[in-house]
Amino acid sequence: MAITLKITPTRFQASGTKLDSQRRYIKKVSSGEDLRFVNGQNMDVAGGGLRYVDPTGTNQDDAVYNGSFSGTAGTRIKV
Amino acid sequence: MSGFTASNSRIRVVDTVNNVDETVFDTDNDMPHIVGVSYISNVAVDFDDLTETQSYIGEDCVGGFETDWYWVYTPAVWYSFLVYVPGEWNFQYNWFYSSYERVYTPSYYEFAREYTPSSYDRESETTYNDCLYTVSYYQWSVDAEEYSSTTNIGTLPTDEDGNAIDVDFITVQATGVRTTAGKDPRFNQALPTTVPSKTFSFQGSVLLESSGKANGNSWFRRIMSVYPSGSNLKLKVQESVATLVRGAYDASFPHINDTRSTYSFNFKVFFGKFRQ
Repeated sequence: MAITLKITPTRFQASGTKLDSQRRYIKKVSSGEDLRFVNGQNMDVAGGGLRYVDPTGTNQDDAVYNGSFSGTAGTRIKV
Repeated sequence: MSGFTASNSRIRVVDTVNNVDETVFDTDNDMPHIVGVSYISNVAVDFDDLTETQSYIGEDCVGGFETDWYWVYTPAVWYSFLVYVPGEWNFQYNWFYSSYERVYTPSYYEFAREYTPSSYDRESETTYNDCLYTVSYYQWSVDAEEYSSTTNIGTLPTDEDGNAIDVDFITVQATGVRTTAGKDPRFNQALPTTVPSKTFSFQGSVLLESSGKANGNSWFRRIMSVYPSGSNLKLKVQESVATLVRGAYDASFPHINDTRSTYSFNFKVFFGKFRQ
């Protein structure tokens, strides 16, 4: 039978363990992230070349790219 | 220390890992969740044909044989010469003796002149000329182009007050097909596309097509981006083309008019928020 609510000294479970204190729910942080989620345009083209803004916000350009697109870094995520 | 607290309308769950308390759940903050899903069908993406320009480069020599005709004048001349008239014996009737007698006429030289009138004669001379005539030669180049088109393809999910939710991420689950496979203008082959035939997911932008020069440098890119802007979900389609010079004279790009590509996508867009 699914657990409705179970509380022990080291663990909290509720709603059939949909909520479980031992799960690593991802959260947005301002630093110390484990990964980043892109949330917006992260490529641009100009001069026949491509600018790829990686999740850290760093531009990765083709040699011929001559645009000025500035993408944003991905949202910092910690699990 | 791991635990659960409920007080003042706040429920908070903490898990302790390596002596560090990690908040698992806190009603004061958002939990990571999907705030909305949008289904957007038949999203059309259309890239026009590229264009090319013919440029005059110069003149090229063409060799060949040529014949020069001219008149040659030959002046009139008098030609003088002696004509030898040999001696001869003839019979001559002698009325006195009523008989024939032989009469010798001695040889002699006779002075003669012959006139040759002046004349014009047509004569010709045929030679090989390395540059008998010139022809103009041209070079073609693909025109540089920057194309961008942005359209609204949906709206962001709204809260109970009707305000657009400030989502933390958008994940697009897409299926798509290239309905027109544009060709590289240089070759009789379709431009490579990165769009898989099955469902794929992306965040932000997707490279659709690209092509490079012989030295490896990019000269052609087509991309699309799906992103939130204000209360709208935007689709931005971009194409960037650098000038590409044909490596041969007097030959245009054979597939310049086959470079149009079209796509049709179905998007399932997940709008999400993270726990703060």
